[in-house]
Amino acid sequence: MLETDRPDPFEDRLSAALREAGDDFRTDRTALATAGRSRGRRALLRRRTALVGTVAGVALAGVGGMLVLPSNDPAGPARSTAASSGTATAAATAVTGDDLLRELKALLPPGTYREESARGSDDRLGPTASLVHDDGAGAAAIAIGFGRVVWGSARVREMTACPDHDVRPYDHCTVDRLPDGSMLRLYQGYEYPDLRVDTKLWTADLVTTEGQHVSVSEWNSPAQKGAPVSREEPPLSTQRLRTLVTAGVWREVVDAIPERPKPSRSAAPRPARPTVSGNAIGDTLTTLLPGKLDVVARGGQESEYAYVVVDDGRGRSLVQINVQYGMGDGAGPLYAGGEILPDGTRVVTRQEPGEKAGAGVVMWTVDTLRPGPAGLRVVISAFNTGDQNEDATRDAPALGMEQLRKLALAEQWDALR
Amino acid sequence: MGTARQRRTDEYAEFAVARAGHLYRSACLLTAGDTHLAEDLVQETFGRLYVRWGRVCRAENPAAYAQTVLTRAFLAHQRRRSSGERATDVFPDLPGAGDGDASLRLTLLDALARLPAKDRAVVVLRYWDDRSIEQTAEVLGVSSAAVRTRCSRALGRLRDLLGEDLSEYARP
Repeated sequence: MLETDRPDPFEDRLSAALREAGDDFRTDRTALATAGRSRGRRALLRRRTALVGTVAGVALAGVGGMLVLPSNDPAGPARSTAASSGTATAAATAVTGDDLLRELKALLPPGTYREESARGSDDRLGPTASLVHDDGAGAAAIAIGFGRVVWGSARVREMTACPDHDVRPYDHCTVDRLPDGSMLRLYQGYEYPDLRVDTKLWTADLVTTEGQHVSVSEWNSPAQKGAPVSREEPPLSTQRLRTLVTAGVWREVVDAIPERPKPSRSAAPRPARPTVSGNAIGDTLTTLLPGKLDVVARGGQESEYAYVVVDDGRGRSLVQINVQYGMGDGAGPLYAGGEILPDGTRVVTRQEPGEKAGAGVVMWTVDTLRPGPAGLRVVISAFNTGDQNEDATRDAPALGMEQLRKLALAEQWDALR
Repeated sequence: MGTARQRRTDEYAEFAVARAGHLYRSACLLTAGDTHLAEDLVQETFGRLYVRWGRVCRAENPAAYAQTVLTRAFLAHQRRRSSGERATDVFPDLPGAGDGDASLRLTLLDALARLPAKDRAVVVLRYWDDRSIEQTAEVLGVSSAAVRTRCSRALGRLRDLLGEDLSEYARP
């Protein structure tokens, strides 16, 4: 520390006591690190979801924690166990993690299992189960997650729609309405959107009219350990996935999730957060663009995201934008090293290679966070191609950094709700 | 292209495993012994570091950066709780005196729990993580004067709760 003089002996004693107390807390470091990485991956996927309209992020978000931290903390005070098991208002028929694993295995083809982990319906983070299954043709991670959703909400519409194929490649996606009115989406895509890694991710999402959401994911790799591809395709066929996700037992699991006044932040977005319609974002962006640019295509998501493809006569350029509220918490580090405007708005800029398969693609980004509790974030990126998955079609994006900055800081965004 | 990604993932994994223990212990102190929340905060911290790893690994002191992210995640979590909730209401039921070190630790954690979250963060940064006043101010995004005020208030409160002689809380 900088000050060497600490005149108060109490401070030294406090340091020693804290060290003493802290050292007694033990945990499984590897599990914690791995769980953190899973969370980071999901965040990346969610961000890409927001940016490109993908399925995987939603599917994974639905699954919740892929990795369950073993409760490896014998030194922990007993009360934390009580705290972690919820507020004692658990629904009458709680489902344990072991129940989930047992039901899951009963619905899987014969084979061996390892790396089993699960959380029961009373867990603060929501029920989930995952394991690595080997049917003899290669180990594969399989995970199931559960949640409550609001039928008819934007989130449900998003989770029961196939993504825009033009901006995100995938192999197959179907959405069916089942006889009972439930929506079922079966998706066959990739763990990483850029296809540089061949890890396939197949998902099945069932949303019932009562707002029960069941999400199954499978990979052609024991993905939880970041292992390489172990087989050509994930083990469960589309038909098998359909049977698995629609099994009646899962709806009881969702019903067993206790109602909570405040859902965990990893399970669901905070309800108070206003959302901005994707259409309104696209409209506003179009009106703000310099006049010399022709808008040749546009699209987006139900909320928070829109894109346009513009052409200034020298080739197409993709411009995408996110307008999101509730981004203020803990966002400080994201803007570390950036600029703070007199009104408190934080700004960072990036010029970096594109995230996807297109060769020579660059992505220029201006990321802004308005001050205040609403946490309004406006982030805009422009590309030197009309399609991120295709090669670059021009040297630079059609909008310069200064223009992007002006767009991101436009006051019109503050008026959108 | 996969190799650069792999290398970064490996670097991240190495860093995360190396720092997990310390961060977890910090989180346990920040949350005054709520190990469940502490695990959640550390995962959240690692998740954020993973997302920004390309930048984090080039930072001068990634470990200190991680601690900063953790502290801010903790404070953000506290802010999200009901604003009417007072710090003393958060952990009402601590076991009474038991035996051995566990009870001493619980007494210390109990005292920490009675501090407002931001004061607790100041105490943990200053006396557990050995940050200077200025560094603490930077992490919390407040002035040095504000840190001094919080610090002296927190020390006064801890003195009241634990007594001047803390030696019984630390093994010799």
